[in-house]
Amino acid sequence: MKKIIEWTIILLIFGGITLVGNMIGYQIYSPAAVPGMLILIAIALLGMIMEEYIPVNIPAVGYIALIGIIVSVPWFPGSGVIVEWTSQIELLAITTPILAYAGISIGRNWTDFTKMGWRAIVVAILVFIGTFLGSALIAEVILRIQGII
Amino acid sequence: MDGKEKLLSIIKDWRLHAIVLMTVLITEYIGQISINIGPGAILLLPMLYALFIGLGLYFTPLVSEKRSINSEPLIVIGVGVLIAKIGVVIGPQIQDLLAVGPALLLQELGNLGTILIALPVAIWLGMKRESVGMTHSIGREPNVGLIVDRYGFDSPEGRGVMTMYIFGTVFGAVFLGLIAGILATATPLHPLSFALASGVGSGSMMAAGSGTLVAAYPEMEEQIVALAGASNLLSLATGLYVSMFIGLPLANKIYAVMTGNEK
Repeated sequence: MKKIIEWTIILLIFGGITLVGNMIGYQIYSPAAVPGMLILIAIALLGMIMEEYIPVNIPAVGYIALIGIIVSVPWFPGSGVIVEWTSQIELLAITTPILAYAGISIGRNWTDFTKMGWRAIVVAILVFIGTFLGSALIAEVILRIQGII
Repeated sequence: MDGKEKLLSIIKDWRLHAIVLMTVLITEYIGQISINIGPGAILLLPMLYALFIGLGLYFTPLVSEKRSINSEPLIVIGVGVLIAKIGVVIGPQIQDLLAVGPALLLQELGNLGTILIALPVAIWLGMKRESVGMTHSIGREPNVGLIVDRYGFDSPEGRGVMTMYIFGTVFGAVFLGLIAGILATATPLHPLSFALASGVGSGSMMAAGSGTLVAAYPEMEEQIVALAGASNLLSLATGLYVSMFIGLPLANKIYAVMTGNEK
């Protein structure tokens, strides 16, 4: 229980910082952004609690994404309000504080990052090509079977 | 999430949160800068400046070793909020998703192509566990969430996926626009197959990839845009679970076989 309270406080700190960025960067001054953020926090918290107490090897993000989808499908009671409020929070406003914390954390292992060096660029390019070409190949098969091409 | 972390001391480290708040204020004020190149654009987002400001601060007295350690759980928790947001973006589009049809779901497996091509090369180049984080997927937000949740941010896998995420965020659109054009004209595959392939789970990359295809095949514009959009939504919705249950285990397996050990 103590842990859940501490998670909640940390989530609220993160949410507060995000709300400020949301205003400055995306000019969203709507008061709906506040309940919107609280809903996102509640979803994240619920997912973290589920990971903690459900004895299956599924990471919290797996639960969190699923809860987020379920509460926002049109058939879910109150989903209209949930979607309306949470739409006041920009996705990119959430990533900025994450990467600010990440930068501070990365500093400690900066040499490990730089060790990857030029190899990282080669591999990143291959990740793009592999994903793109793999998708195109399977798409070709499916579209032919379906008779679309 | 890690129970060892002294959450209370993190909450009390108000200077850390104040530093991040200031960083967010400055970077969001500067805003997004995009440099157009061909059909895509090099995107410089506030999150990128925030990363480098945070990194720079580590080398000042403002950020101690302890403060740096304290910031890690905030990343994990922040990613939780991010994934919640992605969830509520997907939910309202569920009808469009179902309309796409189950056959296209199979196409998502094509995204695993990165593991077959990039992972072996990464290992040959001498990368260690970083290679798994970097190549198990195209490294968008849900994949970052998965890796950070499973291995922690301060891990080789975490470094790998963050490298891919940053690279993709900055250069992804330009790069996808480029290879879409080259491959669509240089291979015998149908343009509509590449339209589906453009939907990798990132709006800007999808727009660049399909934009190139439309420029090359204007007569198919409507179909290209529709298929790319549907596939992108599908990738966003299923990418996390494809990575969780297939991509990451497969990457781990290949890594274990190629390096001859289990971890």
